[in-house]
Amino acid sequence: MPDDGQDGPGTPAPPSTPDAPAAAPPAPGGQDGSDDAPTTGTVRRRTVGEFARWWTVTRHQLAHYVRSYRFLGLLAFVGFISLLTLAFQLDAGVDAVRIQQLNKSSEYLSNFLDYTGLWIILAAAFFAGDALSVDFSTGTGYYMLVLPVRRRTLLAGRYSAAIVVTLAIVAVYYVAAFLGGVYFFGASAIRWDLAALSFGIAALFTLAALAVAFTMSAFFRSPAAGVLVTVLVLYVGFTTLQGVVELAGVEPWFSLTYAGGAMAAILDTDFVHFQSIPLGEDQYYTIWSANVGEGVLIMLGYLAVFLGLSAYLYGRKESTG
Amino acid sequence: MGSFEVDDLVKSFGAGAPALDGVTFRYEGAGAIGYLGPNGAGKTTTLKLLVGLLRPTRGRALLNGFDPVADRVRALEDVGAVIETPEPYPTLTIYDTLRTVGELRGLAPADVDAEIDRCHRLLRLSELDARVGALSKGQRQRVVLASALLGDPSVLLLDEPTSGLDPAERVHVRDLLGRLKRDHLLFISSHQMVEVAEVCDEVIVLHRGRVLLKDRVDRVSSRIRSREVIVEFGRPVDRAALAPVRPLAEDLTAVSDRRWRVRFDGRDESRDRILAACLTVAPVVQFANASLVLEEAYLDAIGEGTGPRR
Repeated sequence: MPDDGQDGPGTPAPPSTPDAPAAAPPAPGGQDGSDDAPTTGTVRRRTVGEFARWWTVTRHQLAHYVRSYRFLGLLAFVGFISLLTLAFQLDAGVDAVRIQQLNKSSEYLSNFLDYTGLWIILAAAFFAGDALSVDFSTGTGYYMLVLPVRRRTLLAGRYSAAIVVTLAIVAVYYVAAFLGGVYFFGASAIRWDLAALSFGIAALFTLAALAVAFTMSAFFRSPAAGVLVTVLVLYVGFTTLQGVVELAGVEPWFSLTYAGGAMAAILDTDFVHFQSIPLGEDQYYTIWSANVGEGVLIMLGYLAVFLGLSAYLYGRKESTG
Repeated sequence: MGSFEVDDLVKSFGAGAPALDGVTFRYEGAGAIGYLGPNGAGKTTTLKLLVGLLRPTRGRALLNGFDPVADRVRALEDVGAVIETPEPYPTLTIYDTLRTVGELRGLAPADVDAEIDRCHRLLRLSELDARVGALSKGQRQRVVLASALLGDPSVLLLDEPTSGLDPAERVHVRDLLGRLKRDHLLFISSHQMVEVAEVCDEVIVLHRGRVLLKDRVDRVSSRIRSREVIVEFGRPVDRAALAPVRPLAEDLTAVSDRRWRVRFDGRDESRDRILAACLTVAPVVQFANASLVLEEAYLDAIGEGTGPRR
């Protein structure tokens, strides 16, 4: 049998030429009227801009997230922990809480929100750790990647949706913290401008953590690996490394979780950048805390580098499975 | 009218033999082209290269004149594709899933619902508010097909389009493809010979990454059709009774007590003599080409159909 290859481009072989076999006879009428439906639509196409495509993908992904057990589960879990914290504090009583928090609302809020970074990292791993790898390890890619949309736009839409759901979870925790703050210290005792700034930093931390998670998701083919490595790197890895370099007296400026401390630090009116604890003769252990400017810069750095990296990796990846 | 073409297309994965090795073809207009080959022949690889899921090692693939890697939006905006086993998000409803596709294909907002309704009827989908994750495999496959048809794209690339469907659904989809090919360009990769034989006008047989055969279905089939006939007698006939036919036949296979498959040298005069010999055995109620002829041609093409089939 001769090999093909003689009919190059420009040698069209339209199968509907006059000598081609007759088209199949019309299908028999369906009982449910399905065969009345025309096989040719009368659709009007319009030019769809990248912004509109991004919006479509974002809504699609958002609808998927909010109906997923992951979102509902994490939301319920964070809500439960928040309520549990408030319940214990209410049980202790207003006076006890005030004494414990040095009679300062800033101390109370700063301590309460100290865990925000953990929730964001968990949410990033849950929502973004497999956001791109599903395209190469499950059939999702065979559905989405054959649609007329750039991969960069797909990434942007999924990233935007992940931001929304992660911030929704962060918002639950913030609402609980400030409800407690108002109850125990009164609304007038709270610096609402700093509260808004703190939430803004949390949002920036969310963007950076999601960028890291998207990179893991673009790198690994297995969705589970992306989720697991995101948690390991962002939480276990950075926290451990941070402790090690602090032992050597070095500021962990490279760590995203270190930068995330700015979320709570901004609310603390007695903020100190570093604190040296004497361990013995001429030996100190220095604890570093990122100030707002430094934290924002580190987060912006992570955001730019990892978002770019995830776009590059995702754009180059092939569906070889 | 849509078009697709591959030109000297090569795709290698690692150091071994290329999965595709210099494949070239081009089609435009309307009609249906069947893409056949055993597992691992490179059929799905070709489809993936056509939609930009893979990058060519050498050569190029174009959809409607556009490179699906470099210019994927323009290449894919008038193309519906079903490759491997697509999985829409299980959390979403059929309506949400189809609406996303319609919007990305650039349908005017006012037309999206009408298009969803058209495809809903064409594919006999479940209720539009049913979640994809709750659907059976066959229903999900019909949602995927509806997604491919939404917006009436001129080119349809279909990899095993009836996979997962029950026999009735399969017949329905085959009928639908037969109607669609009148004004769309269909490229159907399939193991279902009946599907390809019924729907397609042309067939390309791929083996080990190379095109072995490319021709019109009727011409391909006729190579075998002329070498095998089914004879149905008016009464049961045993092998001994077929003594007058045996010298003319290369092989005789009983299909039932009245029906026999006769393989011969393919010459017209031999065919006539076989018919004459059969008439001496018993009344002949049918003397026709063997069915599944395309399958025979396919097996012949890939070198696995040299002997008589039993």
